[in-house]
Amino acid sequence: MIWLRRLLPVAIVAVLASLPFAFAESTTRFWQGVLIQIFVLAIYALSYDILLGFTGIVSFGQALFLGAGGYTTAILLHREQPASLLVVLLAVIGVGLLLGAGVGLLSLRLSGVYFSMITLALAEIAFILFRTDDARLKPYTGGEIGIQGLDVPALIDPTQNRLHFYFLALASMIALYSFARRVINSPTGRVWLAVRENETRAAVLGYNTLRLKVAATMLSSTLAALAGMLLVLYEKSATYEMFSVSMTIQALLMTIIGGIGTLVGPLLGAATLRLLDQWLKSASVSAFLPTWLRADLLFGLIYVALVLFFPAGIMGAINRLRGRRQQRSVQQVAQALKPQEALEESR
Amino acid sequence: MSVISRPSTSWRSLRSQLSRWSIFVALSAIFGIILVVAPASWPKLVTGIVLPGLTLAAVFFLLAAGLSLIFGLMDVLNFAHGSLFMLGAYLAWSCNVWLDPRYPGHWPVTIASSNLRFALGLIIGMLGGALIGALIEVCFIRPLYSRPIYQVLLTLGLVFVFDALVRTIPAWGSLSRPPIKPSALSGSLELLGRRFPTYSLFLIGLGFGLALLIGAVLQRARVGMIIRAGVQDSAMVEALGINVRRVFTSVFAAGSGLAALGGAAAASFIGVYPEMGLEYQLFAFIVVVIGGLGSYGGAALGALLIGLARTFSDHLVLETSLPTAIASASTVLVMALVLVLRPGGMFGKQE
Repeated sequence: MIWLRRLLPVAIVAVLASLPFAFAESTTRFWQGVLIQIFVLAIYALSYDILLGFTGIVSFGQALFLGAGGYTTAILLHREQPASLLVVLLAVIGVGLLLGAGVGLLSLRLSGVYFSMITLALAEIAFILFRTDDARLKPYTGGEIGIQGLDVPALIDPTQNRLHFYFLALASMIALYSFARRVINSPTGRVWLAVRENETRAAVLGYNTLRLKVAATMLSSTLAALAGMLLVLYEKSATYEMFSVSMTIQALLMTIIGGIGTLVGPLLGAATLRLLDQWLKSASVSAFLPTWLRADLLFGLIYVALVLFFPAGIMGAINRLRGRRQQRSVQQVAQALKPQEALEESR
Repeated sequence: MSVISRPSTSWRSLRSQLSRWSIFVALSAIFGIILVVAPASWPKLVTGIVLPGLTLAAVFFLLAAGLSLIFGLMDVLNFAHGSLFMLGAYLAWSCNVWLDPRYPGHWPVTIASSNLRFALGLIIGMLGGALIGALIEVCFIRPLYSRPIYQVLLTLGLVFVFDALVRTIPAWGSLSRPPIKPSALSGSLELLGRRFPTYSLFLIGLGFGLALLIGAVLQRARVGMIIRAGVQDSAMVEALGINVRRVFTSVFAAGSGLAALGGAAAASFIGVYPEMGLEYQLFAFIVVVIGGLGSYGGAALGALLIGLARTFSDHLVLETSLPTAIASASTVLVMALVLVLRPGGMFGKQE
């Protein structure tokens, strides 16, 4: 049976790579688009889980990183001489690392809720700055309209060569997932878990917890910025909505649906959320639902119910079915969120 | 060679040397510098900067007082506090519109006097907010005391739910609605040769009156004593035979009611729109961070400072023709600076 488990990732990648050819001619373009969005959202959710699930940091400003990556891409591509994709990629990674380091150094000295507050405030400031139609900011940010109609190189243009973009998004997701997995299983990643479980103990053991948490924030912000880049390349536009609180909530929602503190969870969460959204908007279901029950209200209610009743998400349910690792992972989550430590932190 | 090392100039030692009044002094100095850079005449200073600042301070105080006390008492930072402010505003706005006999789609029962509608709006807004606050505490916060991170995650989810709810209700919607003032407070007064709206004076009076009233209750009444003791050490209060959970619920309801009252009063001043909750929530955060989370006096003083800082920076932006977005960004910079230099704020517990 063990060889079956080894084959599972290969099988999943094979299925995902052949999926775009599996749909009927008339709908294949549409479904490719949905899958691309799922892959991009999965990277975004993964970036959030590195902070929330693996280091125990509650950031409410993940949209800041997403938007920063997105706008960097859009601004670089919107010039007279569009920058080459390699430059864009390097710039986005640089912005992600710098922003993560800046936000982390500024606010990680403080305990839990202060970090949440300051990240929420910073994201909201970006939201305000990028939305204003001020004459001096508009040439760069595009104001309320945002930056529309980007020239994406024809090879990966999502309208001309959607299949190419599909494989680009898929490959990015697999590469970043493997990278995150490698980092989490590295000695640094193990100490992140220690910080999550008990920060004081990790500090007493001699680890520089501030430096570790800043490193986690930098990794997370870079992944989110890359997700923002892919999102802008796919949409061919960047709007101030990327900085909104609902984008941060989406990351939270995907992570919690999938399962906090697992790497596969956010990917499953992204797929679930996007497909659920599709399903709710389809004609057969929306005829059933009362008109006042809009999709985002329903998602909000689902989120609240999940937090209250299923904090371990899909992966928690899967592990419970399998029965084996359930004990460990549930205990880990329970441990991480122990009341005693949080009270001590806030003192 | 001396054995004792000289004090290093790291952040930590700089922090410990800062007294609690340093924030106050620094902000006052900034106000002074702004007046030097962009001078204002006396009437302009009073009616154009200080009084509008106090008006904002009154609204900020109503929001921040509950936020701070709730955090101090039960270690819950309510991210949905601004949503209660928004709901209070929408409830009051609805009273002003739907009970108006001249409004085409009014309710079967109408009230002819706009003053009476306004007063009713304030009361309904406050009571509605308190009720929703109590429900939030009982249904959502209470089951999660064993999982504090989830409490924070949940309150942020409630922001999303309330936002979607307001946009869903057809009569409220996503649009911004203009403020409706009662006839008694829609005029303006002559102050130092300039006109100043009566409604702002009403807001200042409401804010300062409630600040003094709540302060007196906290200092003198038995309930206030229990709350202050609970902020210090809630386990000890429980050990003394007081039902702390009930105190939690009532303080949560009272804080929510206060925020909703602030929203109801502000609705006739800034109008209503779905984003107002988050917008004012951020100001409330800045206020409580400056004052110190958990401190009532800190919230009051912080509201005063941030209200004034807002109008002073608006004045500076207008005089020097900087982008207006900078003014809204600057207050967050103030918060970041305070957090780095003195994380406990003026009166909070220091880390």
